[in-house]
Amino acid sequence: MCFTQSFWQLTVSGLALGSVYALIALGYTLVYGVLQLINFAHSEVFMLGGFGGLFVIRELGVSNPSAWVSVGLVVAGMLGGAFAGAGTAFALERVAYRPLRRRGAPRLAFLISAIGASLLLLNLAGKEFGRFNNTMPELYTSRKVFSVFGAQVTTNQIVVAGAALVMLIALDRIIAKTRLGMGIRSVAQDAEAASLMGVDIDKVITRTFVLGGLLGGAAGFLFGIQFGVQYNMGFSAGTKAFTAAVLGGIGNVRGAVFGGLLLGVSENLGVACIQSAWRDVIAFLILVLVLMIRPTGLFGERLGRSA
Amino acid sequence: MHPPRLIRIVAPVLIGALALSACGSSSGSKASGKKTYTIAYQGPLSGDNAQLGINMDNGVKLAIEQAQAKGDLGFNLKFVDSDDVGDPAQSPAAAQKLIDDASVVAVVGPAFSGATNAAEPHFSDANLISVSPSATRADLTSNGFTSFVRVVTGDNIQGTKMADFVAKGLKSKTAYVVDDKSAYGAGLTKFVRDSLTTDGVTVKGEGLAPTKDYSAVATKAVASGADTVVYGGYYAEFALLTKALRTAGFKGKIISGDGSKDDQYITQGGAATDGAYLTCPCGGPVATTPAAQNFEKDYKAKYNAATGTYSAEAFDATNLIIAAMKTLGTDVTRAKVTAAVKATKDFAGVTHTITFNDKGEGGTGDIFVFQVKSGKIALLGKADELAK
Repeated sequence: MCFTQSFWQLTVSGLALGSVYALIALGYTLVYGVLQLINFAHSEVFMLGGFGGLFVIRELGVSNPSAWVSVGLVVAGMLGGAFAGAGTAFALERVAYRPLRRRGAPRLAFLISAIGASLLLLNLAGKEFGRFNNTMPELYTSRKVFSVFGAQVTTNQIVVAGAALVMLIALDRIIAKTRLGMGIRSVAQDAEAASLMGVDIDKVITRTFVLGGLLGGAAGFLFGIQFGVQYNMGFSAGTKAFTAAVLGGIGNVRGAVFGGLLLGVSENLGVACIQSAWRDVIAFLILVLVLMIRPTGLFGERLGRSA
Repeated sequence: MHPPRLIRIVAPVLIGALALSACGSSSGSKASGKKTYTIAYQGPLSGDNAQLGINMDNGVKLAIEQAQAKGDLGFNLKFVDSDDVGDPAQSPAAAQKLIDDASVVAVVGPAFSGATNAAEPHFSDANLISVSPSATRADLTSNGFTSFVRVVTGDNIQGTKMADFVAKGLKSKTAYVVDDKSAYGAGLTKFVRDSLTTDGVTVKGEGLAPTKDYSAVATKAVASGADTVVYGGYYAEFALLTKALRTAGFKGKIISGDGSKDDQYITQGGAATDGAYLTCPCGGPVATTPAAQNFEKDYKAKYNAATGTYSAEAFDATNLIIAAMKTLGTDVTRAKVTAAVKATKDFAGVTHTITFNDKGEGGTGDIFVFQVKSGKIALLGKADELAK
């Protein structure tokens, strides 16, 4: 049934979910690229991005918007989410990582600092915003827009996948073409040499965090449109995104995107072909299998080389 | 991923344990000559499905305040609540907090079935009576818990009558039955599945892992050709499932049980919830007795909100405990309260007249059916009558 009747439908909804994973995964991969450090607090960047978007939408308080107003609302919400995410990521780098970096702390200290920051933000958000699911006001009526291979594609899926695609392409261009991108790549390749060549490593690292925060925060808003915003939404989504990043080869931008999409689709097919309870089992089974065969992920680590 | 995940789980538990030990030391005082006893409430006050717990918390608080204000008690009454988040893992600690408080002589709750199942062994050991307004899982009264009674009808009856309504009232041919795999949800759907099969309805479906994205499940439900989706679980997930089903183009009927019956279901599910059915052993036609009407009025005055699902049951459970305590005079101990509560006969509550049988069942056996109509949960009638 899963591979005949509903295959395309499951693929479409899997791609929509996977593109959110991909956006979060980029945050992990970018930071890993420049610091060789897993930023475990990135899940909270995603969560606070969701709240940022939610508050912007609530503040604007539009009900029954027309088509153009809807577009404006989505853009405003994404900006709200992106700025909240970027702000969180920036603060994390300043408070949880930079002091450790200055003192040359061991890797483990970074890990503990990240987990501590994550728990702090998680519980703070729970206290401040309530421990329930905050529903996003309806920005538009999600309905079937068109069909591919008999699978209906809804407004929601187009908005989420479309917005994600735009951001992914933009990021790819930034890394390949701009000065900042060159800086990021050079630090990823060899931080010491980059520093000798006049690259301000601190600046590059801060900007890398902000870049990842922008994407993760916007992803939080896109996720929130569909499923609501909750203080603990980052844990599950963040774990999946981290998986996606490792799957594609951590440090590899295109790998993270591919990993996210692959994970979203395979989860959906797993739910349909086996059972709903297998959702997470499948996700992590794929990770383990890939790592057994290719320990560096599907595409290998290669942020350093031109993407 | 191993170390961070472990720490994420361990750290909150440690912090929680510290917090509990810090505030578990209050005990009965002897002010004004009268002894002070505490009636406690245990249920979710935070978390995804907190609204159901808050409804009950309010009911208990109101009953204690009114009894205390009347001034005809031989003792002073206090109220304390303990948040178990509705989670079986956190429930024993929440129960222990109440057990350790020596002034607590009776507990209203726990609210959710899974949490009840996890807490009852501790209450039984402490011989501390717990009167649940809402834990409906069938086997809670047959698991050998010695200090558990409930004022609500069990899910063996709710599940059976819900299935009869789906088969005969909704004239379903194929039903897609899913649950959240919780003690409550899976317990309810077990009876639904069995009875649907007996009624000649084709049953499909499975237990679901809790998630936010139900689109794949919805796709499966649509592809199965089912005309009805039955869900066993709580409103936060049911709202997301309902949205996903309607987005996937599901045109049939959607129905769930008492765990989903709260206005939050409509708030979180939006327009997609319109037309959905809900069943509950609660919320029958508002009793016309003065007591019931006064309760609605007083609740509104105190909380500036209408009574919610299980508010009235919690109010009854509390008053029933107070009535039992009154019969004891000044000799109030946990053991005596437990015995007195279990022996309750013909207690006139605002929901119904409550008598506990030897298993501790105090419900009437009536199940009511509701439907979401233009943003409100409207009563349709008794399930028995709608299933003819």
